[in-house]
Amino acid sequence: MIRKLFTVLALSILLYALPVRATVVIPADLGELSRDALAIARGRVAALDAQWTEDHGTIETMVTLEVESYLKGSLGSTLRFRVPGGELGRFRSIVVGAPEFAVNQRIVVFLGARGPSVPHVLGLNQGVFHVSRAADNSGWLVTSPVMMPATAGNVRVVRGDPARRPLALDQFEQTVRSLAGATK
Amino acid sequence: MRRAFTALVIASLVLGHSSSAHAYLKFGVPIGGQQVTVKWAQTPVRYFVSDTGVPGVSAVDFQNAVGRAFATWQAVPTASITYQLAGVTSALPGSDDGSSVLGFRSRPDLDRVLASTSFLIDSTTGALIESDIFFNSAFQWSTAAAGETGRYDLESIALHEIGHFSGLGHSALGETEMISTGGRRVLSAEAVMFPIAFAPGSIAARTLKADDIAGISDLYPDGDFQTTDGSLSGTVTKDGQPLFGAHVVAFDPASGSMVASFTLNAQGQFSIGGLSPGPHVVRVEPLDDADIDSFFDSSHTVDIDFKVAFFDQVVAVPKGGDSGQIALKVVHK
Repeated sequence: MIRKLFTVLALSILLYALPVRATVVIPADLGELSRDALAIARGRVAALDAQWTEDHGTIETMVTLEVESYLKGSLGSTLRFRVPGGELGRFRSIVVGAPEFAVNQRIVVFLGARGPSVPHVLGLNQGVFHVSRAADNSGWLVTSPVMMPATAGNVRVVRGDPARRPLALDQFEQTVRSLAGATK
Repeated sequence: MRRAFTALVIASLVLGHSSSAHAYLKFGVPIGGQQVTVKWAQTPVRYFVSDTGVPGVSAVDFQNAVGRAFATWQAVPTASITYQLAGVTSALPGSDDGSSVLGFRSRPDLDRVLASTSFLIDSTTGALIESDIFFNSAFQWSTAAAGETGRYDLESIALHEIGHFSGLGHSALGETEMISTGGRRVLSAEAVMFPIAFAPGSIAARTLKADDIAGISDLYPDGDFQTTDGSLSGTVTKDGQPLFGAHVVAFDPASGSMVASFTLNAQGQFSIGGLSPGPHVVRVEPLDDADIDSFFDSSHTVDIDFKVAFFDQVVAVPKGGDSGQIALKVVHK
């Protein structure tokens, strides 16, 4: 009984520790994101600054990215883009489905913009790819290969498919550059 | 004094989750070094609807469709949450004004987003102040009883978002396919809380599934939820090491229903509640087909490098109790 109680307690604490995200999205594949993006940048998150939106209706966060490379377009060596939500004073606004970042994270981000406004991330979480070191330290990897476009006919997505593995960063970038230049 | 406070916090965690198991992911925020679940402290939860319609959906149509979706969640017999329409407002969803508002809004920066839920939280206490749901007016919507070709069913999407509004995260119980001409579509979903929408015209997501019912009952338990339903728990290891983020599915062959959860700690433990008593088939699979950020905070490393596996025996779930620990083992892809 005591052991069970501890198990319950441990799982309770764990569940509390898992902020999850959510929304209903129209899924985009990598080709759509690559074509639609105004700019695609790889870089390191340098700063996060929460602020009130221009209409003072809610909170948003400005993300500063130190750009290592552009896969499409160019917005300078340091760029800023906005994401919904953030924390100001005693208030925390969470827009479920909006990407959250941490300083020093390495990402590839697909950005859009309307007119002269500050860029935003395309498709919320769909427009952010995390870059992480391979477990064997052999290089950098990007996850979410399921977003690669199907090649011939519709393809059922099967969990555990041995063919689906994280992509090497250079392979991912080569694919994105190719897709970004393609016409639909 | 500090020790007494710590004890109180632990007690409240245990009492707040007296069920022996959990289905579903829930929203949580860190407050003062503790993690607090995002849920409503009082019911009925009062909400406003905006007074603006869109082509094909009047403000009254919107109010009625949203009302049906709230009623569907409220009708779950093993959950205690209730909702109340507070009125019609000209305020827009997504404004931090202290009122929970549902309505249409034009958000060109949220392309590809049909609808989304937001929360405003007091970061000193963790109290949920308001939750808004916006429906993107850039899309074509319908409230027709049988759905309409080319238009998204508002009631279905509202049902999903109200699940979030109530504190539920996403479920991974769904199957999709990549379309040769671009994009991805849902083939089947065993949870309204699956994050990818059915195609326009579909009304398949107007009905809660076993996984949804288990989730809302776990957050707001009522009636005999904890005495009539059972749970299943255990661990998942890969090459002898505990696995984090493995998706574990319990399938009831008698009813055909599925309820799922994840391994959620460094010990690779999982626990699935809200199960009907009786035999269950247990499967473990990697979340390698999904946007992991849609399920877990990006600070968590989810292992997706393993093959699907089944527990080698049918597991008996007892009424009002737990199956006892089962050990699932997986191998690298």
